[in-house]
Formats: sequence, structure tokens, C-alpha cells
Amino acid sequence: MADVVELRGIRKSYDHFVAVDNLSLAIRAGGVYGLLGPNGAGKTSTIRMMIGITMPDEGEVRLFGEPFHRGLLHRVGYLPEERGLYKRMKVLDHLVFLGRLHNLSEQEARKRSLAWCERMQISDWTHKKVEELSKGMQQKIQFVAALLHDPELVIMDEPFAGLDPANSVMLKDVLIELKRAGKTILFSTHRMDQVERLCDAICLIDHGHAILEGDLKKIKASYGKNHVQMQYEGDPRLENCDLVESFNNYGNYVELRLKPGADAQQLLRMAVDHARISRFELLEPSLEEIFIDQVGKHA
Amino acid sequence: MHNVWTLIQREYLERVRSRSFVIFTLLMPAFMAGSVLIPAKIEEMNSGGERRIVIVANNPQLAMAVDQELKAPKPKSTLSAEAGAPPVYVIQVDTNSTDAERDRLDEQVSDGRINGFLWLTDDALANHEVTYSTKEAADFHQSGELRNAIRTAVTKRRLEQKGMSGAEADALLTPIVLNTVRIEKGKEGSSGTTVFLTAFAMVMLLYLVVLIYGVSVMRSVVEEKNTRILEVLLSSVTAKELLAGKILGVGAVGLTQILVWVIFATLFSVPGLLSAKSFLGEVHIPPAGMAAFAIFFLLGYLLYSSMYAAIGSMVNTDHEAQQMQWPAMIPIILAVFLMNAVIQHPNSPLAFWLSIFPFFAPILMLVRILVVQPPLWQIALCIAIMVATVYGLLALASRIYRIGILMYGKRPTLPELRRWLRYAG
Repeated sequence: MADVVELRGIRKSYDHFVAVDNLSLAIRAGGVYGLLGPNGAGKTSTIRMMIGITMPDEGEVRLFGEPFHRGLLHRVGYLPEERGLYKRMKVLDHLVFLGRLHNLSEQEARKRSLAWCERMQISDWTHKKVEELSKGMQQKIQFVAALLHDPELVIMDEPFAGLDPANSVMLKDVLIELKRAGKTILFSTHRMDQVERLCDAICLIDHGHAILEGDLKKIKASYGKNHVQMQYEGDPRLENCDLVESFNNYGNYVELRLKPGADAQQLLRMAVDHARISRFELLEPSLEEIFIDQVGKHA
Repeated sequence: MHNVWTLIQREYLERVRSRSFVIFTLLMPAFMAGSVLIPAKIEEMNSGGERRIVIVANNPQLAMAVDQELKAPKPKSTLSAEAGAPPVYVIQVDTNSTDAERDRLDEQVSDGRINGFLWLTDDALANHEVTYSTKEAADFHQSGELRNAIRTAVTKRRLEQKGMSGAEADALLTPIVLNTVRIEKGKEGSSGTTVFLTAFAMVMLLYLVVLIYGVSVMRSVVEEKNTRILEVLLSSVTAKELLAGKILGVGAVGLTQILVWVIFATLFSVPGLLSAKSFLGEVHIPPAGMAAFAIFFLLGYLLYSSMYAAIGSMVNTDHEAQQMQWPAMIPIILAVFLMNAVIQHPNSPLAFWLSIFPFFAPILMLVRILVVQPPLWQIALCIAIMVATVYGLLALASRIYRIGILMYGKRPTLPELRRWLRYAG
């Protein structure tokens, strides 16, 4: 099956600033894909090129196995980072308007809008003006707007930014539901925990380059289980031990990374001599560590 | 096309349903009607009444003659345009021309016992300067009547002193009325005054609507930038469609407004025109004039609104937009200033060149068409130039728009703008 999104060596520069440079990635159908990177890494520029808001200077964008053309956009739902609605329009009118721009009939757009509003618990507000709604509710309306035409590919730029915990959970549930229904989801974020929980595959971008791309599990596995989390009483004196590459004390527990080739059992034996160990666990690195490691390497 | 239609619909319905549109559309005719009816009503209330005037003259016969002239029926000329009855003059002759008498009369005027007094002494006549003292200094119409009466009476008396009979003098002094008639296709059409007033009204309407709705396009672009809705829209429509939908939708709102006003004007002017007929003659706008108005409204609107859309996409706030909108207004304001010169010499080469300049054309060519009917080739040339300009401006505006709407932050400098135009390609 063809990749839903494929970028082949795309480049975009504004004046002398290169926003995206020779970036390639492929997104398989039916998964959740995370576009990761620090602020200003080129995530939004990349997304804008995927949906034809800007054109790459070089390289090729392919959607659903075809070279990009605007006709494909009706199969894509997009939630931009810069979000907005017409303030003085009524909620339902607004949703119907956006639905119609995606080729829905007025009736169909109305029916789906009402169903979605119910699902998102904003039914009581459909006849209010947008400006009367709280920010969180306006965001929900925008999620609905992006999903109204039942797109096969959902692209969301920083969807969790500014959401309170309850709404974050609601959004996450919707995304999982979409994934189960076989949709492909791409979202960008700089929050690793969300990616770790939701994504099947990732692309890590920094300074316009993809520095890590592919299946999340494989990426993690390639780093090997060289991380140790432990809880103890006393002082195991591991900070300057020559088996340990880095040491991070979180208060209730410590997390440390072993030097390449170091033996975890040897570390445990050393620790036991000095402290009472209540937990010793060998882990894959967290995405945050991979991120910091990779960004550090490329800096 | 489907998208453009949806965009037009939204733009149109949201605006027409808004309270400000309804209020402005209804208030404007009320305001116009008020500005015509209220002064007319005041005039009517004043004119029917009595005018008590004292004429101070050493020669009572002269005073009587002035009295007679004032009371004589006057021929209707184009200038004595007046609804309502002429005033009834009550004249009192006073031969006492002392300073004390003058003070006493001043008091009477202040008290409102008399409307005014006329200082028509022999001394005054010898100096060719007669004074009328009144509280109602602004009543030009009355002072005109008085001036005519004095002039006629004095001239008549001088003629009689030279040995002319009263009847001969009367015949000599009968005024000539000048009626201006405009020739249209070899036939006599409406009077010059009518054409002027019609042209003026139509041009003002055009000016008002083009500016209001051009600026409205600009503001709505700025609003879309500020509310950040553009990116959502751009994921399903192109910048060109967005621009077209906006300009056409707002234009349709403008047309609706004009239509409402025209309906009001027709309803209101049926009684109004009947009374206005007396001084304007038959008011009729030739169908060619109406067609020209429609064409130049559309072209003028497209021209200015695409320019305003481009400005809107370059700026970030309403405040910046207001600063930038002035340069765009200058040509149309200039055109209004030049209008008078073009009306006076509509066939001069200068008028021709000015009127085919696309930014002036909506005003100046329209004026020429209403006033003189320039040769058809000139009209055709003008329309062709305008269409080409509109096309060019739209292409330019949509490029600036395409880039500008995604740019937030600082306003672009000219070299940056040139680069934008390159990106958009």
C-alpha cells in the first residue's frame, strides 16, 4: 500500500533563512505519526508544504501515492497552529461553511456538525456566536472543522497546545478512535510524552533537517536497553562511576545511562555495596533522552 | 467555482444580516430625505408669513415705487426656486432720516416688531449704496428680492426723469430669463442644471460606495489575518478563490445597498420630484447614463477593492491599514476635485486624457458621459483600459495576498514586497 504522505528531499527557504532542508519522510496508512522538534525546527513549514499552502523550492510532495494536487485536499483534514474562526459568525453556521468548502452539501454539513458538537459536548453552544465561547470551546470547534468531511489523513499542528487536561484527554480519545477507524494521523508537537504515548512512528526535525525518522519502537530498540532506573536508600556513589555515561537524579529515583558496552549487572553489584536498593530496572531510553541526545549530536 | 460561490455567500449573508448594515442602509435615505425636506419645510414656514419692512426715504414716491415692485407678481425664473407661497410684504414709509430715527428702528428690529428697515435716503442713493438692516442676515432670497425691487424702482425713476413714460420704462426693464437646454442626439433633453445635479449625485454615490466597500474589503482581509482563520481556509481553497469570493461578495453587498437606496429614492421622490419639477424641469436620467453608472461602478469597485485587498494583506492591524489606505484614496479624491473642471470643458483634450486614466475613469468618464456623450471609441477605449488595469491589479493583488496573508509581524518594505511577488510565482 502506498504511503499516505511522502516527502522527497524537500527544501524551503525564505530569503536567506532555510526553514526546511532536504527533508524526506514517509507516513504509512493507518498510524499515528509524530513530527517532533524544538521550536523553530521547521515543523510548521513542513506541514504547510504537505497541504499546498506553500510550495517547496525543491523536492516533491506526494499524497496518497500521487504527486500533490489540490484535488487531494478534500481527503485531508487540517488543524493549523495559527488557529482562528470568524468571531461574529454563529458556531453552527461556521461549521457548515467550512464543511461546504470541503464539498459537503449544506444538509450533510449541518447533520455532521451537530453530531460532532454532541460528541464534543458543545451542543448547547451551536447557536452562539464564536466570540461568546471560551478558548477551549473554540479549539474544539476547530477540531470538529478539521474532521467534518471525514478525511483519510488528519494533519494537526500542535493540537495539544493550550488545551486543559480534560480537553487533552478528549482530543486524545478522538485521535485513538480515528486511528481505530483506519485514518492516518500526523501531528506535530514538542512534547515528548504525548508522542511516546500516541505515536507509531516519528520524524525528529531540527534546523530543517530530519535527524531521526521511522518506527518509534525500532528507534528505541536501536538504542538498546542501556538505561537504568533505580530507587534506593543511602548513597550508591554512582555519579562518578566509570560505567555511567550520564546521571539524572529526579528526587524519588535516579535514572542513568550506561556507557557503551558497560554491564548493568556490574553496576548493580557496585550499588549494592553502598546502598539498599528497592528497585532496579533496565529500560529503553525515553524519547526525551533520544531527542536531547540527537539534537546535541547535530548541534 | 463551487468554493467561490460558498465564499461569496458567506461574505454576503454575514454582512447583510449584520446590524450595522441594516442601520446604515436605512439611516442613509432618512438622512438624505431629512437634509432635503427639513430646509424646505423651514423655508416654507418662513416664506408664507408677513414681512414688515420700514423704508426710510427722503422721497416718499421712491419708497412707494419700491413697495410696488416688491408686491408685483414675479415671473418664475430658474433661480427663484421655491416651494410654498411668496411672502406678503407690509411696507411702511418713513421720511425721517435722522440718526435718532435710525436708533429707534434698530430697536424695533431687535424687538422683532419689524423684520427690517431699508435706508434709502438721497445720500445713500448718491453713494450707490443702500443698507438693509435685519436680524435675518442669512436670508439671501429676500435680500435678492429687495435688491431687484430697489434697482428696478430707482432705474425706472431715473428713466422717467429723462422723459420716458412709465410703460416704456417697464418694457425696457422686463428681465430676460435664461433657460439652458442640453442637446442629446439632436433632440432637446433636460436642462443643464438637471444634468449637473444628476451627474453630481451619481458621482457622489459612486465615490461613496466604492470607497466604503473598497475599505470594507481591506478591513475584512485584516480581520481574517488577525483572527488567524486564513490557514484553515487555505487548506481547502486557493488564495485566488478567497480573494475573488471576498471582492464579489462585498461588491454584492454594495449593490444591494444601492438598490435599497434607489427604491427609497423612487418612493420618496415621487412627491419630491413633483415640487422639484418647477425649478429643475423634467428630471430624467438617460438609460445610457444608468448603464454607464452600472459599468463604472463595477469597474471602479473592482479596481479599488483589489488595491485595498492588497493593502490589507500587507498590514497586520486596523491601525496600520488606516495609515496605508490614504495613498490608495488619493486618486479617487483627486478625481472628485477634477470633476468640476471636466464638467466645464468636457470635450477638452485634458478632460479626455484625465478621463481615460483608469484610476480617475470611474468618476471622470462617467461625468463626461452624463454631460456630453463623448464619442463611442473614447468610452470603449476607457473601458478597455480599465478592464486591463483591473485584471493586472487582481493578478498582482492575489500574489501579494497569497504571501501576505501568511506573514505576520512587521509590515513589508518595498524590496520585500518585490520578493513576495517572486515567491508567489
